[in-house]
Amino acid sequence: MTNYKKTIGIEVHCELKTKEKIFSPSQSIYGSMANTCTNIIDLGYPGSLPLLNNEVLRFAIKACKVLNLHITRDMHFDRKNYFYPDNPKNFQITQNETPIGRDGYVIINDDGEEKKIEILEMHIEEDTCKSVHSAKNSLLDFNRAGVPLIEIVTKPCIHSAKEATLYLEKLRELLLYAGVSDCKIEEGSMRCEPNVSISKTDKLGTKIEVKNIGSISHVGEAITYEAKRQEEILERGETLHEETRRFDDKSHTTILMRVKETGNDYRYFPEPDIPYVHLTEEFITDSLKDLPRMPDERRKDYQKGGILPINMEKIIANKEISDYLERFLDINLVVASNLLLGDISSYLNKKDIKLSDTKLTDSKFRDLVNKLDKKEISNKNFKDILVDIMETDKSIDELIKENGFNNLDDSVVDDIIAKVLDSNPDFVHQYKSGNERVLKALMGLVMKESKGKVNPSLANDKLKEKLDA
Amino acid sequence: MSKYIDLSIEKIHDLLKRKEITPTTLVLECFERIEKSDLNAFITLDKEGALKRARELEAKEVPDDLLFGIPIAIKDNIMVDGLKCTCASKMLDNFTAIYDAGCIDLIKSHDMIILGKTNMDEFAMGSTSETSFYGAPLNPWNRKKVTGGSSGGSASAVSAGLVPLALGSDTGGSVRQPSSFTGIVGMKPTYGRVSRYGLVAFASSLDQIGPMTRNVYENALLLNCISKIDKRDLTSFDTNEDFTRKIGESLQNFKVAIPNYFVSDIIDDEIREKVLNIKTILENNHVQVDFVDIKHIDKAVTLYQIIAMGEASSNLARFDGVRYGYSYPNPTSLDDLYMKTRRFGFGNEVKRRIMVGSYLLSGENAKIYYNKALQIRDDLQKSFKKVFDKYNLIIGPTTARCAYDLGVKGDDPIKSFMDDILVMHANMGGFPSLSMPIGFNKEHLPIGLQIIGNLCDEATIYQLASFIEKEIKDDFSEVRDD
Repeated sequence: MTNYKKTIGIEVHCELKTKEKIFSPSQSIYGSMANTCTNIIDLGYPGSLPLLNNEVLRFAIKACKVLNLHITRDMHFDRKNYFYPDNPKNFQITQNETPIGRDGYVIINDDGEEKKIEILEMHIEEDTCKSVHSAKNSLLDFNRAGVPLIEIVTKPCIHSAKEATLYLEKLRELLLYAGVSDCKIEEGSMRCEPNVSISKTDKLGTKIEVKNIGSISHVGEAITYEAKRQEEILERGETLHEETRRFDDKSHTTILMRVKETGNDYRYFPEPDIPYVHLTEEFITDSLKDLPRMPDERRKDYQKGGILPINMEKIIANKEISDYLERFLDINLVVASNLLLGDISSYLNKKDIKLSDTKLTDSKFRDLVNKLDKKEISNKNFKDILVDIMETDKSIDELIKENGFNNLDDSVVDDIIAKVLDSNPDFVHQYKSGNERVLKALMGLVMKESKGKVNPSLANDKLKEKLDA
Repeated sequence: MSKYIDLSIEKIHDLLKRKEITPTTLVLECFERIEKSDLNAFITLDKEGALKRARELEAKEVPDDLLFGIPIAIKDNIMVDGLKCTCASKMLDNFTAIYDAGCIDLIKSHDMIILGKTNMDEFAMGSTSETSFYGAPLNPWNRKKVTGGSSGGSASAVSAGLVPLALGSDTGGSVRQPSSFTGIVGMKPTYGRVSRYGLVAFASSLDQIGPMTRNVYENALLLNCISKIDKRDLTSFDTNEDFTRKIGESLQNFKVAIPNYFVSDIIDDEIREKVLNIKTILENNHVQVDFVDIKHIDKAVTLYQIIAMGEASSNLARFDGVRYGYSYPNPTSLDDLYMKTRRFGFGNEVKRRIMVGSYLLSGENAKIYYNKALQIRDDLQKSFKKVFDKYNLIIGPTTARCAYDLGVKGDDPIKSFMDDILVMHANMGGFPSLSMPIGFNKEHLPIGLQIIGNLCDEATIYQLASFIEKEIKDDFSEVRDD
């Protein structure tokens, strides 16, 4: 019945994970004890002046690049003036007139259909401090004050909750891979604020903004709920007013925070304490030089390498694994990814450590994958030596030797094969009748008989030779 | 009573070197005068700290640094670690600095001795120092007259010989105008020459700390000490030069411009006459002096009001009772805390400027006024630079009138700015500008000459100022004789 069209724009704030804050040399560490990462600049102390952290510019340039934004070469900062206790100077240093990035887009994949989500602009600003309210009083933690943020604003070009969540997932993936933000919504390092309007005509309806959403799926829920709520109001013949609502994750509804008053007056003017910034080509090129490959490029290689889509997404979702795999694109990706997603991941999870904490060197990993690929070592044998691979400096060859894998004489192998064939005439008969699948079963028996010590590749060849003779 | 403190810094240094006196001698002498003085020049005194420092210095070999052991007074909007920094406001009456400003680091590294913090207009807003929460400082030449402002306490203290050197800050004439009213030498350096780190901001794009001294040479010496690039102020620039180096050089081929506006009928006759007398002296010494017209020269006050108040409204927003300073007790709500803290914490002039500034930046006004003002400010700078293409320096009076009676300004907001119509151009364009005494009016009140130089050309200003200083026969030290 609904013939209302939803129109959605989304503002996203992301904390940049620079070592220091944007305008002060304070450390920027999430989870530190309250008010330990602060100094006179963060506290808005009289006489203090902002500095400008170049790393923030570099990170923002990277973000511009992966979001296909045009970089503003000549830019400055502006003061946004408003009183609130979480705003220590009672103005926020932001970019109003000259956002660092303009007119970009990201491509989302909506069930196989590619869509372009247009980004109006991206600017740099400082975060406010965190307020904790109790019945008796309010407490302020200035650790967050001055943490660098980028704010990314889309055009009103999103028309469904699904598109919105796909956009946010994509955005999160890109910024994460660009290495500029942790994008952890639960820790507040990524904050998504959609605005939703519905209309039956081409003219946009009344914009309602939703804040305080704790996950990407909740953004979808909030949009769906909000569109339905607005439709019910309009269908009752009532009118909507611009307002800001918040998402309530208990009731899965939106709740009114405040009605927008006409013309919020932030008295913007250029920040006089920070000279205008000119981004040179050299600086931009230099900032981008360590930008890693983005997920879509990686997906193409994974696909080419034969990795199944489901595993492909598992790898992309685990940036550490994907980054690791970047060094091994020339070997068997199926074997490599199965190893990483399977046995190696379980090992790491059990130990609660990272790949970089183990003794698995690049050459060892490469050797291991090649040996598994060429069946020079069986999966079972690999499992037996996994812990040694991860925890000792021994090479794969050394471990194979030490464990007595693959060291049986040819005559012994021949004996084992003969024994297996003798005791399984049915399989032999089936094979001769054209059922080649029993080869696998026979191989398994050979491996079992040899207690895994026979070289699987060699045994396979010999077995076939015997059967085909 | 000894009068070592009235000697030139070179002579004092010589006595220190020869161990005839010690830094303690100087500090005690200053405090003897300060304690006897009725000028209300200081807000905070640090006798204990100064004497302690003086004694520490006595253990040291006297280095070849003329400023070693010399007492100095600091305007009370500059942070000195451990001393109160009130900005002459109730808002910061209980506020103690927890760090040293950039220039204070340098003062301390030169082993100068800080005696205390000087009186001023509240948050440097005013031109008589009467907006001080602690009452106005008095002009030593006539205690019924204003010292000028906003660095009135520093001017009064140096003029009266309570201390040989002081620092002021100049946003729209606040070093030079009181220097002119009290017969001392005051310099507003090129914007960015002295770090603003630790200076409580009034109008960030105009504020500049400057030296206030008894003579030209000592002014250049003090500027040598306080100017250095400071990474903590992004607008500060690399500076490594000796500002005294041109003093004594010949004025051959020197060309000086006097803007017609600076000798127009807005200027008091006696002052104009003294300035024209300087013209004659210079011409007699083969300096070419021409009258020139400068585009936008009459717009400085308007520009100043828009830019300074706009920036001030934002800079002073941080005084809200939440983190430091005065906080209205037992507020009923957050808004109540904000409103009552600012209503009772700020004085009228400050509140007026915040209101006007907020209005000027509101909605479309920012474009109509602030952005437009920035454009005209650029044009004004260009038109001054054009003059400097042809002339070494620009001269004129510092003020249109001499010091006037305390209280006459009352609460007239427009009149306040008229005092500064001749000094604001230097702030707008970032140019260095100095005021020096060149005579007295009939009431025996000092008259100041202003010398404006091209960007970064303080050395040439000192060259001319020092020359003129030698030509002037008047004695500006008589009020030091208490």
